[in-house]
Amino acid sequence: MRLKNWKTFGLRDPVGFCPSRSRWVIAVAVLAVSLSSSLLRGADSFPEKIQFNRDIRPVLSDNCYACHGPDESNRKAKLRLDVREIALKKEAFIPGKPDESELVRRIFTTDPDDQMPPPDTRHRLTEVEKGKLKRWIAEGAEYQQHWAYISPVRPKIPAVTNSKWTINPIDNFILRELETRKLPPSAEADKATLLRRLSLDLIGLPPTPDEVAAFVSDERPRAYENAVDRLLASLHFGERMSVPWLDLARFADTVGYHGDQNINVFPYRDYVIKAFNENKPFDQFATEQLAGDLLPSSTPEQKVASGFNRLNMVTREGGAQAGEYLAKYGADRVRTVSTTFLGSTMGCSECHDHKFDPFSTKDFYSMKAFFADVQQWGVYADYGYTPNPDLKGFNNDHPFPPEITVDSPYLLQRLKMIDGRIGELEKRFLAKWLADPKQRSHFDDWRKQSVRFLEQNPDGWMTLVPTNSADEKSKTATFTTNPDGSIVFSGDGAESGEFVFPLAAGGIAAIRLELLPSDKHDGKILRDKSDSTEIRLSAELKSPPQKAGKGLSFYHADANHNEERYSGGSAIIGIAGGWRTAKEFSTEPHTAVYLLNEPIQTTDADELRIKLGKNSAASVRISITPFANREPLYSGADEALARDLRSDSSPPSARVNEVYLLSANSTSDSFSDYKKVHREELACREGEAATVVTASWTPVETRVLPRGNWLSTDGEVVQPAVPHFMPQAPDEDGKRLTRLDLAKWIVATNNPLTARTLVNRTWKQFFGTAISSVVDDLGSQGEWPTHPELLDWMAVEFMESGWDVKHIIKLMVMSRTYRQSSNPRPEIHERDPANRLLASQSPRRLDAEFIRDNALAISGLLNPDIGGPSVYPYQPAGYYSNIQFPDRDYHPSRDDRQYRRGLYSHWQRTFLQPMLANFDAPGREECIAARNVSNSPQQALTLLNDPTFVEAARVLAGVVVTAPSDSQRFDKLYRLALARSAKSQEAISMEQFLKVQRDYYNANPEEADKLLKVGLAPKPNSASAPELAAWTQVCRVVLSLHETITRY
Amino acid sequence: MNAPFDYEQFQSSINRRTFLGRAAFGLGGLALANLLNPKLAGAAETVAGKGHWRGILNPPHYPIRAKRIIHLYMAGGPSHLESFDYKPKLKELHGQPFPESFTKGQQLAQLQNAKLMAFGPAAEFKKWGKSGQEISTWFPNIGGIADDICIVRSMHTEQINHDPAHAFMNAGSQIKGRPSMGSWLLYGLGAESDNLPGFVVLTSMGKSGIQPVSARQWSSGFLPTRFDGIQFQSKGDAVHYVGNPEGVCQSTQRQVVEEIKRLNGMLAEDRIDPEIQTRISQFELAFRMQTSVPELTDFSQEPQNILDLYGVKQPGDGSFASNVLLARRLVERGTRFVQVYHRAWDHHNTIAKDMPVSAADVDQASAALVKDLKQRGMLDDTLVIWGGEFGRTPMGQGTGRDHHINAFSVWLAGGGIKPGVTWGSTDELGYRFVDDAQKMHVHDLHATILHLCGINHERLTYRYQGRDFRLTDVSGHTANGIIA
Repeated sequence: MRLKNWKTFGLRDPVGFCPSRSRWVIAVAVLAVSLSSSLLRGADSFPEKIQFNRDIRPVLSDNCYACHGPDESNRKAKLRLDVREIALKKEAFIPGKPDESELVRRIFTTDPDDQMPPPDTRHRLTEVEKGKLKRWIAEGAEYQQHWAYISPVRPKIPAVTNSKWTINPIDNFILRELETRKLPPSAEADKATLLRRLSLDLIGLPPTPDEVAAFVSDERPRAYENAVDRLLASLHFGERMSVPWLDLARFADTVGYHGDQNINVFPYRDYVIKAFNENKPFDQFATEQLAGDLLPSSTPEQKVASGFNRLNMVTREGGAQAGEYLAKYGADRVRTVSTTFLGSTMGCSECHDHKFDPFSTKDFYSMKAFFADVQQWGVYADYGYTPNPDLKGFNNDHPFPPEITVDSPYLLQRLKMIDGRIGELEKRFLAKWLADPKQRSHFDDWRKQSVRFLEQNPDGWMTLVPTNSADEKSKTATFTTNPDGSIVFSGDGAESGEFVFPLAAGGIAAIRLELLPSDKHDGKILRDKSDSTEIRLSAELKSPPQKAGKGLSFYHADANHNEERYSGGSAIIGIAGGWRTAKEFSTEPHTAVYLLNEPIQTTDADELRIKLGKNSAASVRISITPFANREPLYSGADEALARDLRSDSSPPSARVNEVYLLSANSTSDSFSDYKKVHREELACREGEAATVVTASWTPVETRVLPRGNWLSTDGEVVQPAVPHFMPQAPDEDGKRLTRLDLAKWIVATNNPLTARTLVNRTWKQFFGTAISSVVDDLGSQGEWPTHPELLDWMAVEFMESGWDVKHIIKLMVMSRTYRQSSNPRPEIHERDPANRLLASQSPRRLDAEFIRDNALAISGLLNPDIGGPSVYPYQPAGYYSNIQFPDRDYHPSRDDRQYRRGLYSHWQRTFLQPMLANFDAPGREECIAARNVSNSPQQALTLLNDPTFVEAARVLAGVVVTAPSDSQRFDKLYRLALARSAKSQEAISMEQFLKVQRDYYNANPEEADKLLKVGLAPKPNSASAPELAAWTQVCRVVLSLHETITRY
Repeated sequence: MNAPFDYEQFQSSINRRTFLGRAAFGLGGLALANLLNPKLAGAAETVAGKGHWRGILNPPHYPIRAKRIIHLYMAGGPSHLESFDYKPKLKELHGQPFPESFTKGQQLAQLQNAKLMAFGPAAEFKKWGKSGQEISTWFPNIGGIADDICIVRSMHTEQINHDPAHAFMNAGSQIKGRPSMGSWLLYGLGAESDNLPGFVVLTSMGKSGIQPVSARQWSSGFLPTRFDGIQFQSKGDAVHYVGNPEGVCQSTQRQVVEEIKRLNGMLAEDRIDPEIQTRISQFELAFRMQTSVPELTDFSQEPQNILDLYGVKQPGDGSFASNVLLARRLVERGTRFVQVYHRAWDHHNTIAKDMPVSAADVDQASAALVKDLKQRGMLDDTLVIWGGEFGRTPMGQGTGRDHHINAFSVWLAGGGIKPGVTWGSTDELGYRFVDDAQKMHVHDLHATILHLCGINHERLTYRYQGRDFRLTDVSGHTANGIIA
């Protein structure tokens, strides 16, 4: 057959034909009628009629365009082969006359001087490719516009013989190709496999055994569709869909360059999850991310979405040149938009016109110009040598503006939960002391003492007057004391202050520091020209006869006015570690209240020493109170508290109980529990979160940078514009186009690329390989789609459905094609090893995040919360030691947040969490449309030894051993992990393994104890330690199986 | 045949062969047999083929001169003016305005907006060995191997800040997501070890002028993840997750791995999925790593005179000396590429005080490595590279020097490099390389390194987003003059 073809095409000498591949060629020649040559690699063959897009463009693009293509600066002999008119004018070929065509002569000649491609390049044409070019010229050398740049038109749904097989049009397109090749599709997968597939594909979590059992026994015709609908409606759907989107958006928790500091952006992730869950139409989704801030009266949510434009890596490295980095940021945005929405590689035209596609350098910079209004800084710092007045005083702990603060539904929910816990805790405390006579009398004493204190100090505060004076040694500023206790400093420089206060017998739960305006200092609270000062307060209790004082620490402090201080990009909660006064209130009194870590009881002989670190306050006053409040500024007492305290009703009011707990029980467990929960509450930041957004300012000038050189000012100034060869964005009266115009153009129905890009990428998620397999390049160097009409049909369907993402996904997973068994029959494997024709499903290894989620879900450890700040899974100690500016430490989450889904993992761009990295999650430094799928020893080590998996295994063991017999336990384990029962062969093998493990751990119970301590989770008590350890080993095996991490 | 190698196609043909092999051997039966006869346990390995990657260049383009590489990476940008490029003229000009003819229109880092003043070399230089190469007295041990090394004084790069400059030195591009040098080598030539990673990274901190590094510097970028560099940790397990969980000893761990293999084998019998075979062999490889990494990091076999040669005080303390010795042990065991970072060369201030400290940190071990490789007969086919991501300005920044891209020095030894020669030169003030015939752009260095490894840098390519990428982007010339 092959030789016949050679004769037909009049080739003289089929050299270079590799005999060992002949069997291959014959086997697949039948298949390749309308499929691209790259589809069945190494299987070149001749189609019936040459089609430029399918047969010729890939050959010309790959071998000729570099010198004879769109890039003018590298063009040789002024010949371009990508434009027919020019190729004809240069007499590259004569349509219909291959033997007289120069191109044919050049590709067949053996004269190295004439030969094309030149022998000193790495390009070589195969004999088949030469034959195709020749026949194409013989047939008239017709060109076609590149398929991806022609707006898709809904093709007719093809008729198929076996019409009963089809469920929706997807099946018609797939089946027609299969029927043409006489390759029958595969049978439907068994129901349990199907449900596991659907679950892992749609929500990234395995089905529970109950869900599997219910589905398997559900005989109703709509059973499958019901399962699909249930999963599409699950809130975990949004989490699953977010993962690939976050790769594209290059979402990470750190900035990526140099010191790789934290950036505040988790609300953007929540936005993406919510958008998928609410099935936000894709056009809206895209618009909000590119230009949410420019939408008329844009909502906080739309502003959060615009964080998309701020997710490029940024720097604050000393010595960085702003101009250079602005060029990098701009180029990143062009690459991101181009990959994400256009499936194109515009990045190639940063330095030169694209070598394969019609994107010009001007197109690149015109696209960049759309983002010229994005408020940003090349270097997010203020260095002496490169001052940055906009970011005055910024250091490595500062955030990356502009940011907005938004409500976080997750944090608000958590606050509510914590509030409940505090209520519970206080109730338990009350019940406990009421039941304890000793504690009861302690309470009574405290109450009486409190009432006495209130008689002297009705607001619960007692102002202290210092007995010392300024002292040279301690470098204390000179001061005078007024009768109201206020201390007024003289002088005008920053100095420290130290005061000694005699105390009376009583309790101290909180200390108040007031900064008062002083007439001596122009009515300001500051004694020098500055507009703000930083104060660090420390306190010491001196109890004679002891010489040394006892340092008092504070667990929380708050002020009515302050400037934010930052650590790791976040505002520091509270002012216990330092208080910076508010610039705009420098003539107003400032008040700060410090809650004692351990409230104290004092005697008449005691002294309180207060030190204020170097500061420039004008006047201060110190007071103490025995009454602490969760909100420090409300410490002391109001009328209501005073009344409640005077009443001796039992039990006391909730308020009194709370004040008692916070003020007079410093060593009790209840108080330390309370502080722990309170800290969690504080960490919720009142349910608010900062997040980077796009803000618009006057667009900066954008120039073409010749060869990408940012220092050059020779290039042409460009305005925002879409690629010149594509349908143009509507231009209203020549007004400058904005990001909003760009977004509208991207989702316009005449944009040929967007819908195809989206549908093609989504297809990959459910079928393993995309229809045009290079998802980030639908251009000339990409792949001719295996099913071009299907791609177009879905693209049109997507747009006409109103960019309905769930609709398109539902079509895919409802199709018969999707439901096929993923175990290819040998003949499929022989004829279509890459399974591009889809005569079966393809197995797919789970993505990194879902490998984690799957193990946590199987073991029952998974925390199913949706959204919120990033969390910290276990990670080897010292992994961040190579990060500086500032130095970084990693503290694994110590509570239920340890078990959150992988997509919430803290994403450190320079050192990605090793488990995620080992399973091919990208650092998200660049926009990524397709992850690698590797199979490495690091993956095996992770599954075997990462504490996350070991802990999951031991917790799972605790679940499994609740079944009575070994065989029932194996069954339970397999149903949990693999949605099926163990086969007898497997059970036999595992029984032997289990026996060995039992023997070992029975003989070495101390080893069992060690194994059962891995991770935070409590040790289950469902069996003895050796038994649990033996089953932990079994569970480690099962969690490590290839099948467990694969969706079949 | 189309020249660019198609990794996917290659992989699928391997998978196909594996599949056919599987059909012939019948793994399931084998797995059951294992239960009865543990001696057969290794047989699945045969079926799955050897675990490690053999490289796509088979045979290589040129004879291989350097089978393995140790890159001593001085992160932060060591000053060439205090190490390998003596400029007496600069000394004369010390404290005077730096001639604008040199600097006009050129990039600056922290010297932006500053008055540029000449800053004379803070170190003394002398001529060393028979070759008489000029090396600063801050590096006496490297001076002692002057006749074994080739100093390149004409290095230059394109990126003036650490982060992108590291990317450029490692991957030939400041754009993220490009594969690093070690990944390209591994992809091209494969590994020679069944038990250890083919590309390993070690980091040590140093004392002043400390610079962060990033895992992307040893990332495989768009190449398959298996070509990533594996960073060895100085604390805890040398390789992440290489240690067994608490309560699991080596033999029980072995039982776990065996059981996984048996059950995966049964799955393989049921399904046509070559990935299962690969998974089986990766678990094998992982287990072998669990055994061989502790052996590798156990220095107790090293005689005292070797520890003394390198200056190792406490084996495994994360010091540069310890890491360099570990690097030698790695290449001895078949690792292709080891990068040893020393992260303390960013001497913006008090260079006269701080740079000697960094020099003392690395000098002895760097020289010891060359001597040790030589005495083991390994220097002939092991390439040692010493250098940073850029140089430092001949202009002062207070008492230190700023980043500089127009000139810096590296040295190379072994692996087909001419010993005892100096390549390239800079102008009288050490501002810019001069002799175009001996200039060495980062791309040229990469081309030369690949050449020594038997690779034509223009022909080691990988297709990504429609383009055939290579380490040297679109340029790079092999410096034939330094090849022996």
